Amino acid sequence: MKGRILAVVVAAVLLLAVPVVLDSFSVFVASRILILGLFATAYNVVFGYGGMPSLGHAAFFGIGGYTVGIAITRWAWPMALTMPVALVLGAVAGAVFGLFCLRVRGVYLLLITLALSQAVFGLAFYQTELTGGDNGIPGIPRDGVPTGGGFYLLALAVTAVCVSALWAFQRSPAGMTILGMRESESRMSATGYQVNTIRVMAFAVSGAFSAVAGALEVYLQGSVSTASLSWQISAEVLVFAILGGARRFLGPFLGAAIVTGLEVWVSTYTDRWTTALGVVYILTALFLTDGVLGRLRRLRRGTSPPAEQAPDEPVIVEVRK
Amino acid sequence: MSWLTHTLNGLAYGSLLFLVASGLTITFGLMRTVNLAHGAFYLLGGYLAYDLASRGTDYWLAMVIGVVGAAVAGMAAQRLLLHRLTGQELPQIVLTLGVALVIGDQILAHYGGDPISPPTPPGLTGPVELGALVFPKFRLVLIGIALGLALLVSALLRYTPIGAKVRAAVDDQEMARSVGIRVPLIFLLVFGLGTGLAAFAGVWGGAFTSLSPDSGFEVLLLALVVVVVGGLGSIPGAYVAALAVGLVEEFGRVLFPGWAMFTLYASVALVLALRPQGLLGKAAPR
Repeated sequence: MKGRILAVVVAAVLLLAVPVVLDSFSVFVASRILILGLFATAYNVVFGYGGMPSLGHAAFFGIGGYTVGIAITRWAWPMALTMPVALVLGAVAGAVFGLFCLRVRGVYLLLITLALSQAVFGLAFYQTELTGGDNGIPGIPRDGVPTGGGFYLLALAVTAVCVSALWAFQRSPAGMTILGMRESESRMSATGYQVNTIRVMAFAVSGAFSAVAGALEVYLQGSVSTASLSWQISAEVLVFAILGGARRFLGPFLGAAIVTGLEVWVSTYTDRWTTALGVVYILTALFLTDGVLGRLRRLRRGTSPPAEQAPDEPVIVEVRK
Repeated sequence: MSWLTHTLNGLAYGSLLFLVASGLTITFGLMRTVNLAHGAFYLLGGYLAYDLASRGTDYWLAMVIGVVGAAVAGMAAQRLLLHRLTGQELPQIVLTLGVALVIGDQILAHYGGDPISPPTPPGLTGPVELGALVFPKFRLVLIGIALGLALLVSALLRYTPIGAKVRAAVDDQEMARSVGIRVPLIFLLVFGLGTGLAAFAGVWGGAFTSLSPDSGFEVLLLALVVVVVGGLGSIPGAYVAALAVGLVEEFGRVLFPGWAMFTLYASVALVLALRPQGLLGKAAPR
């Protein structure tokens, strides 16, 4: 326990020191890592924790982003208003996705979420009056929102609050039912739990915090476009989770940090980042299906099967069938 | 534009979708290998044929090289990468997405991001006049090719010894192995057939719409929709679903222009939510 408190304190000091120590570009990258890390952590509620492989989370990310873009450019809403609204809209969208996914598992769930997010993409693409269509909404004013190091600290605060909320949620009785559902649906429903409600709840919580991440991203970039709704975003967050380790709470966050860091590094050498990203996908699929954290844990224990988990950690078993 | 023309357009587009989906019905629907790089092989075939034809190679020869080239690339990917992940859906998804990203980005690097418009096959240009109706010859031929392909592939799977071996390998791998069917070889060949069909669709799809490095995923999505809505592994199902999607897409675009894509994908999600096994699929999956 003491070790854990120490680790948290050290991490907090390091995170707070970022804008003081690093140059402005690195601070931008760090902000991006926080945002994508939050997105990946929220995604994992459905994916690693709930055992439901979604390939449609770009929809929630994009809904959060468009909420901010539309609300600021039309009604000049302050951040204190856009963020909660994004959260609520993300939750609603998540619940709708969850309802569609009640009867499907595995690849089918993946395809339904993909189809739904393409439907959302279609809305953003063709409802040009509201969303600006293919051009998106550029040059969003950020009145009252700090930039640079200030924004980093703001993003850090929001991310810290949201990630802690997700941590608390996953360990709450409600959160544990998601885990129970993933482990054995039939047993859960035999014990009297409403499995359908649990699935919808998992999607709603995941969608809500994904939308918050999408909203933050728009404050960072100053624009929103259909790119935030594209399938690549959904695929990337899936890879964040697998690469970092979907079975650990902080695995997806780590995955987001690794891929984002890699992007910055590779982009200084070549324009072909997408090819490099594809190679990362391939290597992840071949060698890292239990993620960096899972791999480290196995190395440390010197055991090969990832059967045993520390009792105080939520156990997230392999998502593969 | 009359309703009849729209209907024919929808059918032609649906036929193109069936061409793309036919390969995916075999690899994903039948062999249960999730191949999200299918759209990338579509692009690969289309771009390869376009490149060769624009350098003066005979059109039909260019098409054959494009198709064979993509089939070989597909078999290489199966043998070197996908082969290790048999039965593991999630890693397959991540891996094939990676392959799709690499192929798409390399096409972008070599040919640029602007859409290309491959030529209509020689002999198929111009309109056909059927009474009052004037319709592009190419599209009419496409409708015929898709129907022919649907019959051919169904018959191949149903009545030939190779088809029987494929079905056996899918149904019970161990039993198939023990009676001497070389399952890995069958998987390899079937994957080559699937990617070859994707490339064939890419050549025709390029002439139908156009090709750009991002269009691969769009095509993949529509093909997935067709395969899953039709019922996994069912060629007749895929054919019916492809025509239905083609018609929905065409009429949706005409009647509700602001809602294109939304209407299509929302209805697809609804169909899957209510009937996960697809329209003509037999048992519920799992």
